Amino acid sequence: MIRLLYGLAFCLLAYPCFAQTNYEAASIPKDLMPYASAVVRKMEQSTEVKDFDNTVENFKIAVTILNKNGDEHADIVIPYDKGNRIKLIKGAVYDEYGKLVKKFSESNFSDYSAADGFSLFTDNRLKHYHPATISYPYTIEYEVQIASKQSLNFSDWVPNHFLGTAVEDSRYEFVCKPDFNLRYKEFNFPGKVITGTNAAGQKTYTWEVKTLKAIRNEPYSPDYEQIKTVVKFAPENFYYEGINGSFNNWAELGKWQYENLLKSRTALPNETISYIKALTDTIKSPKQKAKVIYEYMQNRTRYISIQVGIGGFRPFLASDVDRLNYGDCKALVNYTQSLLKAASIESYYCIVYGNSRKRSLLTDFASMSQANHVILCVPFKNDTTWLECTSQKIPFGFLGDFTDDRWVLACTPDGGKLLHTPKYTADQNRQIRKANLTMSENGGLTGNMMTTFEGAQYENRALDDNNQDTKKEIEQLKEFYPIDNLEVESFSYKRQKGIAPVNQEDIKLAATDFAAQSAGKYFFMVNPVNRVSGVPRELRTRTTAVYINRGYTDIDEITYTVPAGLKIETNPLFIEINKPFGQFKATATMNTQNQLVYKRQIKMIDGTYPKESYQELVDFYKQVSDADNYKVTLAKRN
Amino acid sequence: MIKILLALALSTSLTAGLAHAGDFPYGSFNLAEMDMKSYAADPSAHAAVLQEFGKSWISTSGDRIRLIHEYHVKIKIFDDKAFEQGKIEIPLHKSDNEYFESIQSLSGVTYYTDNGSVQRAELDPKQIFTENSSKYLDVKKFAMPNLRPGCVIEYKYTLESPYLNNFRKWEFQTDIPKASSEYEVRIPAAYNYKVTLQGFKKLDNTNAEVEKECFSIGGNKCDCSKISYVMNNVPAFVEEAHMTAPKNYLSAIYFELNDYVNLYNGAKVKVTQDWADIDRGLKSDEEFGSQMKRTGLFKEALPKILTGSTTDLDKAKAIYAYIQKNIKYNHYYGIYTDNGIRRALDTHSGSVADINLALVAALNAAGLNTEAVLLSTRDHGIINKLYPVKSDFNYVIAKVNIADKSYLLDATDPMLPFGLLPIHCINDQGRVMSLNKPSYWIDLKASQKEGNTFILDLTLQTNGKLKGTFTRYASGYQAYNNRKEIKKFNTVDEYIENLDERLTKVKILESKIQNLDSLDAPLAETYQVEIDLYDGADHNRLAFNPFILNRITENPFKLAERDYPIDWGAPSDTRYMLTLHMPEQYMVEAPPATAALSLPNKGGMFVSQFASQDNAYTFSHIIQINNSIYSPQEYPYLKELFNKIVQAEKADIIFKKKS
Repeated sequence: MIRLLYGLAFCLLAYPCFAQTNYEAASIPKDLMPYASAVVRKMEQSTEVKDFDNTVENFKIAVTILNKNGDEHADIVIPYDKGNRIKLIKGAVYDEYGKLVKKFSESNFSDYSAADGFSLFTDNRLKHYHPATISYPYTIEYEVQIASKQSLNFSDWVPNHFLGTAVEDSRYEFVCKPDFNLRYKEFNFPGKVITGTNAAGQKTYTWEVKTLKAIRNEPYSPDYEQIKTVVKFAPENFYYEGINGSFNNWAELGKWQYENLLKSRTALPNETISYIKALTDTIKSPKQKAKVIYEYMQNRTRYISIQVGIGGFRPFLASDVDRLNYGDCKALVNYTQSLLKAASIESYYCIVYGNSRKRSLLTDFASMSQANHVILCVPFKNDTTWLECTSQKIPFGFLGDFTDDRWVLACTPDGGKLLHTPKYTADQNRQIRKANLTMSENGGLTGNMMTTFEGAQYENRALDDNNQDTKKEIEQLKEFYPIDNLEVESFSYKRQKGIAPVNQEDIKLAATDFAAQSAGKYFFMVNPVNRVSGVPRELRTRTTAVYINRGYTDIDEITYTVPAGLKIETNPLFIEINKPFGQFKATATMNTQNQLVYKRQIKMIDGTYPKESYQELVDFYKQVSDADNYKVTLAKRN
Repeated sequence: MIKILLALALSTSLTAGLAHAGDFPYGSFNLAEMDMKSYAADPSAHAAVLQEFGKSWISTSGDRIRLIHEYHVKIKIFDDKAFEQGKIEIPLHKSDNEYFESIQSLSGVTYYTDNGSVQRAELDPKQIFTENSSKYLDVKKFAMPNLRPGCVIEYKYTLESPYLNNFRKWEFQTDIPKASSEYEVRIPAAYNYKVTLQGFKKLDNTNAEVEKECFSIGGNKCDCSKISYVMNNVPAFVEEAHMTAPKNYLSAIYFELNDYVNLYNGAKVKVTQDWADIDRGLKSDEEFGSQMKRTGLFKEALPKILTGSTTDLDKAKAIYAYIQKNIKYNHYYGIYTDNGIRRALDTHSGSVADINLALVAALNAAGLNTEAVLLSTRDHGIINKLYPVKSDFNYVIAKVNIADKSYLLDATDPMLPFGLLPIHCINDQGRVMSLNKPSYWIDLKASQKEGNTFILDLTLQTNGKLKGTFTRYASGYQAYNNRKEIKKFNTVDEYIENLDERLTKVKILESKIQNLDSLDAPLAETYQVEIDLYDGADHNRLAFNPFILNRITENPFKLAERDYPIDWGAPSDTRYMLTLHMPEQYMVEAPPATAALSLPNKGGMFVSQFASQDNAYTFSHIIQINNSIYSPQEYPYLKELFNKIVQAEKADIIFKKKS
């Protein structure tokens, strides 16, 4: 999928970028300076649908870079491919006083393959330019024009693409012939669209914003996508890669995709069909059949990304995957769907935005480019099952944290359907640990530790099931468990694969000098393995709501058997906090069997909370951090 | 520096050796390979090379001299973690439409077990892609089909190259183990290459024989040396922390064209030879020596740059600062100028060579004796000292000689103080190139210790908070890093705001940062702080850990032993001193233990001290690392030193109320 640095801009103006060129840095309004490393002085973006097979996006921008941190704005990266041709690139650099330093054109750009180090192959390419400047501030002004023979995808208008950027003026115009119907969706747009007709009789839509302040990065804030001003566009009737189509909603878009991009891709060789039939014939339950087929697919394929042809929207043929045994997410989902079909099991090809930070498709606005991944939905009666097809290891029916809890589009023969993937709740995302450790007279530690991982925490240990006791994995465990001088004597994993999978880790460990000793006393941290990694920084002013993306529950219980005759000398640990967003409880007590018992339970609850609760969240973590760093002093009983 | 280099005699002492293996047949498997469950010598390996064979020779077909390289490999894949081995990329270099590398034939096959019988899946030629990566590079890419845990993949190709100067190197060692790796080269007597074997492992077998009249061009014929190099049971190479380029330690064989005989006219053409040749070549090179001589470019600007500078050192500093500010580094490495220093000055943009040769020229223009120094950056590997190889160098800096001192300068980074090289240049030795003397070696060392001093003076208030000052002085690379950290923010105020927010228990009341832009002076940060520590000050017992800041909580050294040197880049000196003023009613119940530990041979030390006077308690820690590089034998001592530090910084001091 295509994305220019700011979004793509289109229009037909081959003049110097802007007529007015007062780029003196001193003329930037003072109230735009806080937290800004760059200021968009002027941006004019336009999209013109000249015909269904002729769209021109034009993008003109002037950005003043205030310091090194703003340099990324001056990095011009223009993606293009066979379907999206660059018609114009030009620009200029101005110094602090707005004096022209240098002009540049297409010949100053380097040309690269857009290979991302992730795809095996892609036919997308990039043009790249970065101006050489020696002092700040400076201004870069450039214009890019890209033509495409389609009318399905249009760049969003995003006046303020980055955190830490302020905007003086940004304008967007959509121009189209009278019989083209535009649909659009505004986010955080303070004004009102102006519609009209130009001299050529074309319809025009104009959006404009002025003076947007820089947004600072704040911990625990919602997706920046939800905060910034964005307008998204979609056609009603369109043309794309030789196909005409139309849609007004997800149902129609899903139908179009099914009919044009998916339906013809599912044929399998007869041998494969009969093999699948033979494999599943004796199994009664459709769900069990699906599991066997899914595991068959997992065992014989692997994920390799290859992006060629139709903008990355159409899967490889199922028969190709059957032969080559690899494919990207689209290919593997399509293949699995075809295998299931061979056993008469219906399933849906579902497009989704995959990211551990949850993002749904916009339920009230259908457009083609909101997704980046594909998963498979198997609608058993009262028991919808979801399959991630790109991993050889993930259990049947388990999605993990990449596609959970969000709206996705199922492309079915009856049209598109918006479906919601399962949510893993704070109670389900559990990590439960129990350790029995013995501390020797000289402060050393030995013992066993057992931990189970469930829900979204199932994948906390991406270690191999059948490859144990390797040096490397012990090194990884030492990183997970920051106990000084830790030696892992043995470890094992037991995985119960299933729709609610559980992974159990057992470790036998030892550590010398665990407790520091002085004047016959022992000092050590009672929670050596699961401390919060840090307290979110305090903010002098908080502007966004508090957002916790995914909830979880961790329960730790460590029993230390210590040399006889010791008592706790420090203030005992007892803390309990209850807040709307989380709960925490920790205690450390000595029992009568010379055992120090440490218990800790933390639960963070996903959701959006008012911005005023941010300080409470910081205080919560401060208290948790203090409790996690609690050090006990054990002294001889008198 | 530990680097094992062996010069291999090539043209002399050809022995009619034992018969050697040669290439293995393509397209067949055996059941033992298929049944193999793990690699015996390294059961943790996810994949292993079963056999690898390469062959390179110079061909003259069609009267075009070409280097032909055949590669053939068979890899066992034990589990899906090694599926990346089935994703193959072959880089192909190109200069223009006439001069480029190409793949002549490529085939591959995967053997896998399905339902108890072994199947073959051929690589589909339609699934081989050529990516036009950049102006100088194409990449052939393909994925082997039908990978399963336990499968064996095999592929081979022939690569044709016009680049004769770099006869194809061979890497015996990679990140997976190899059961056997063999490289056969056939070199016409007319070509004389210098051959270097690098790494810890020795060759298991070499075999050389003469092939009569194997090479002909323009009707002239000559004999060839056919040599094969064999290494068996090559372990996987595992990277570790605090090390320089893995390349320094990997087992590989390199070839550098020394000279050749032009068979058309019988003339011997030298390609690389001794330092005298290289010196002569570089001095007159348009993109090197000629650039160093362009002092005239600075005649006009110099008086202004040198205004106010009286001593030679002041002048050198002024010129260094001028180049730092006036040419922005475009991140191109290399010893030759990219666009030349005139263009670099005009466009304010240049490569390493553009910038530093401009610096050499400018310093010489001011009458300061200045030389250029060629070096290899840390990630590029250590220079081979057996004989000169120009391509070993990838970076050039300036060396200005003032009175009896000399300073190494790199003007590519405007945050570096005069005389301090960036850490990536601190790599063994460099070769000094002067316009009027033969070249010579010089040590590349950090000119300054890395210094980091914390001074805290705090008083416990009745509300349980600590109030006082916190000062931090940084020098050397520490100052460089801290300055970079501060400059990440739009303003110093935003840096302090962030620091205040990050240190959640600390409130910064006032702040002062000195020498942020005076790069030659230590960076000083002073803060008036209030630290939220206790709830009120009326407790029977108070536990206090003096290491409120900069506490080392984890030993960076976790391995039981290590094979490679520990490379810190520069010696360092870290001091932490905290004075705590307590209310009168408290006394120390358990004072922290004092500790002292030294590394052998004055390599470094750790000292922890505690003192009290009236109601003021002073803690101090000093950590000194005196060398840049420690040998693997010194590893246990370093590890123990850090173990002690972690232990000492963990301990609390306990105050109790006087009764």
